[in-house]
Amino acid sequence: MDFTGAYSWVNIRFLLDGLLVTIEVAAISIILSFIIGAILGLLRYMKIPVLSLIVGAIIDIIRNLPLLLIIFFTYFALPQVGVRLSIFWSAVAAMTIFESAMLSEIIRGGLTSIPSGQMEAGRSTGLTYVQTIWYIIIPQALRAMVPPIVSQFVALVKDTSLATIITLPELTHNARIVYGQNTTYVIPMFIAMGFFYWVVCYTLSKLSKRLEQSAG
Amino acid sequence: MKQSKKQNLLFLLLFPLMLLAACTSSTVANQDITERLSQSSAPIVNWGVKADTNLFGLYNIEKGEIEGFDIDIAKALTEEITGDAENAEFIEVTSKTRIPLIKNGNIDAIIATMTISEERMKQVNFSDVYFAAGQSLLVPNDSTIQSVEDLDTDTTVLAVKGSTSAQNIREHAPETNVLELENYSEAFTALQSGQGDAVTTDNAILLGIIADNPGYRLAGAPFTDEPYGIAINHGQENFLDAVNEALDTIIENGTYAEIFSKWFPEEEVPDLD
Repeated sequence: MDFTGAYSWVNIRFLLDGLLVTIEVAAISIILSFIIGAILGLLRYMKIPVLSLIVGAIIDIIRNLPLLLIIFFTYFALPQVGVRLSIFWSAVAAMTIFESAMLSEIIRGGLTSIPSGQMEAGRSTGLTYVQTIWYIIIPQALRAMVPPIVSQFVALVKDTSLATIITLPELTHNARIVYGQNTTYVIPMFIAMGFFYWVVCYTLSKLSKRLEQSAG
Repeated sequence: MKQSKKQNLLFLLLFPLMLLAACTSSTVANQDITERLSQSSAPIVNWGVKADTNLFGLYNIEKGEIEGFDIDIAKALTEEITGDAENAEFIEVTSKTRIPLIKNGNIDAIIATMTISEERMKQVNFSDVYFAAGQSLLVPNDSTIQSVEDLDTDTTVLAVKGSTSAQNIREHAPETNVLELENYSEAFTALQSGQGDAVTTDNAILLGIIADNPGYRLAGAPFTDEPYGIAINHGQENFLDAVNEALDTIIENGTYAEIFSKWFPEEEVPDLD
């Protein structure tokens, strides 16, 4: 074990380059999957004939697939049907597809947790169906949704490490390159990797605590 | 409720079928690489290279780029084909990802310590030999193993998944145990931690490991003949011809010998003709 050698500026800078890619992939995927997940969750909740059924079926399929399989799919299989994405965008696409499905179920769960009396009450005051959802159901459901959504985001940050298999130059990939070239760096690199992931994920969950308090 | 459950199930069954239908109906649009290079103002050649193989393709952490024999050969070939070595783009591949990537057109050619074999020729075409390699064994200096004949039921040989070396060692030493790992560096880490008695792969790669890790040696002469070639997809015969022509040129004008001596100063430049 060689901690001083392992934590040289060159190596740390290389890890930080990787961390930046991790954060970029995670941030883009979080934004996209939140928007798509919210739309899908609402569509499924609203029980629109046929459409909700199709959306539900697709969500159930994706949710029950391993994320790794979806990463392979976007990188190796999509080009066969004419969609050729770079490594970075393959990873973003895979994370977005998977996380959208996961988030849509959290969002739908939050919406269904609101008693049906709320809907009836809203409708009887003269609000339309969509207005009731927007002004009565969503604000109440949001409070219940925030913690599971944030823990899903934390999971997403950690799951970006799976994209190391398609050689996305993220944190895990770069750390593996460092310890691959010098075997005395193995344990220091694992400690550094753990530390960086911890910092990002802990910050995220702290943010959610504050969000929860301001929402409640 | 019962009805909708049935419909749900129907969709579940139909969805993969629809996907499959979509896949089979459209064909892979693989443009001719030579045509693309001649038409484009920035003729970029995408080379699939290794990033974990000392001397051939290794990530230089300080510079943030991959360096090695394969890289320099690819740059020299790119210069011959397009007129500028800067047109060479490098994409990191592993033994498992390189074939799908070339089939998909993500990369134009693989120059990643890839042995020319009959099996692989069913999927890709190979250029002429650009490096004459053969399989050997890496052991600690104090090891009793002197050649492949010394391997028996008590020894464990470490090899890399998806490479020809695992198959070869099973043929040359059928008695020995073979443990397959993710890549060369993990195989060597396993050897250091005592999970095996020898690492087997091409001699050139083992020499690269020894260059960085004193205390290890090769056990005997190479026991196979496994030349490296540049892999190019079927249907890209024009590009294959261009690569072979460029390879001939750099061998004749001395560029090849220069690159070879840069990376293997101890070795004699081989006669590839």
